[in-house]
Amino acid sequence: MIPACPLRSLPRGEAFRLDAEPPIAVFHTEDGQIYAIDDTCTHQDASLADGWLEGCEVECPLHASKFDLRTGQVDAPPAKLPVRTHRVVVEDGTIFVIPSEAPANLPPGVGVRPQGAA
Amino acid sequence: MSTTSLPPGPQQSLPPSLMSTLPGAYYTDPDVFALEQRRIFESMWFCAVRAADLPRPGAFKTVQVGTESILITRARDNSIRAFYNVCRHRGARISTEESGEVKRAFQCPYHAWTYDLDGRLVAAPNLTKMPDIDRVAYGLVNVAMREWLGYVWICLADEPPSFEEDVMGDVRTRLGDVAHIDNYDVAGLKVGRRIVYDVKANWKLIVENFMECYHCATIHPELTEVLPEFADGYAAQYYVGHGAEFGAEIQGFTVDGSSGLDRIPTVSQEQDRRYYAITIKPQVFVNLVPDHVIWHRMFPLAADRTVVECDWLYLPEVVDGGADIDRSVELFHRVNTQDFDACERCQPAMGSRTYADGGVLVPSEHHIGLFHDWLRGRLSD
Ligand code: FES
Ligand code: FES
Ligand SMILES: [Fe+2]
Repeated sequence: MIPACPLRSLPRGEAFRLDAEPPIAVFHTEDGQIYAIDDTCTHQDASLADGWLEGCEVECPLHASKFDLRTGQVDAPPAKLPVRTHRVVVEDGTIFVIPSEAPANLPPGVGVRPQGAA
Repeated sequence: MSTTSLPPGPQQSLPPSLMSTLPGAYYTDPDVFALEQRRIFESMWFCAVRAADLPRPGAFKTVQVGTESILITRARDNSIRAFYNVCRHRGARISTEESGEVKRAFQCPYHAWTYDLDGRLVAAPNLTKMPDIDRVAYGLVNVAMREWLGYVWICLADEPPSFEEDVMGDVRTRLGDVAHIDNYDVAGLKVGRRIVYDVKANWKLIVENFMECYHCATIHPELTEVLPEFADGYAAQYYVGHGAEFGAEIQGFTVDGSSGLDRIPTVSQEQDRRYYAITIKPQVFVNLVPDHVIWHRMFPLAADRTVVECDWLYLPEVVDGGADIDRSVELFHRVNTQDFDACERCQPAMGSRTYADGGVLVPSEHHIGLFHDWLRGRLSD
């Protein structure tokens, strides 16, 4: 269980990027739910915490694939693989994340030294 | 560029009735135009778009100001923002459209750097791996902006000149008092018609044409019918605070003198049945009549090409009510066409060897000399 941030520092409609390995995005939806998913889009290295939160989905800020915060599923390409979801616990006003044990679907080049050209 | 030598003025002496115009090269020389772009259009307040053309957050327009393309949009808080249309990464144009609407961000089509409506860099590939990139410092570059009379004015100068002195000052010079234009509630009016003219002429020919009425009786039969005093050749711009009076049988400012639209209620008694004209340097012309306002914005694109966007503004209820504005618009649309045809007729002759020293101004045009003095002043030093 990793402490993310105080609940009151994450207003509804906002996201927090937890600097884990790999990073995790924590969202507070407009209707008050808190979800955590992998922060890195499965298409390219983009931070989903910088994306656009709409209902229970976040749209990737780069190429508009949308991920369901409840399931991690992606709606349409260019991203093809889901992100992992992580359990969230709020205790004494602090948001904690319990990272998933499943293997992460990271985009090419992330975690590895980037190389190659177009 | 300080290496550009401006064409010299005429050498010969003139009879007292005449003053010289600018030499022909001022209207054709790309170096003069480049200097004008830098010292005038990129240095002064420039009237860019009608604020109502950006109805919602994310709506945008791009405009050419001097050598720069500027992106103007409305942010989430409804304020208007202007940016250089240049990606901070490797310089791609953010938008190549003249207008459009984004949902929530501008994304560069090259490597997908993504900017919010305040210009802040909000996302980019691998951005979280580069925490040292400041998202404001590498956001779109801001341009100074003012909203006045329902228009968005921008200024590319590092230190913009006083808007009150320059822009409002030109209105004051012509009308005697800025309050006189407030009576027309220009910001509260609505665009009833917009016509864009692509004029194959130097912008200064258009300014000079707009300043004088020596040509009115010859090329503007309809306008001279409505404003008989224009037949004497003295433009409304020759005097301070003078409005040309409608002819006795004229009912309204329309192509056939028939009655116009609903009068703007705050127009004063002394402004009724009169026509006022204002030049706001460097690229705006305004005509005020009791029932509408005609607002021209010039976009000088080359030494021999100027796009003029002209708005006919009426009371919102006139536009929304679907009133017939055709005869009202037609009068000045004809005037514009007649004027721009005249400017296009002059442009090819500006390069003639017989026009190297320029032409002459007759007494009813002598006030154009002030414009030439102003221009030379801006281009020298
Ligand atoms: S990086 Fe997320 S869709 Fe391309
Ligand atoms: S030039 Fe715009 S993202 Fe690379
Ligand atoms: Fe004219």
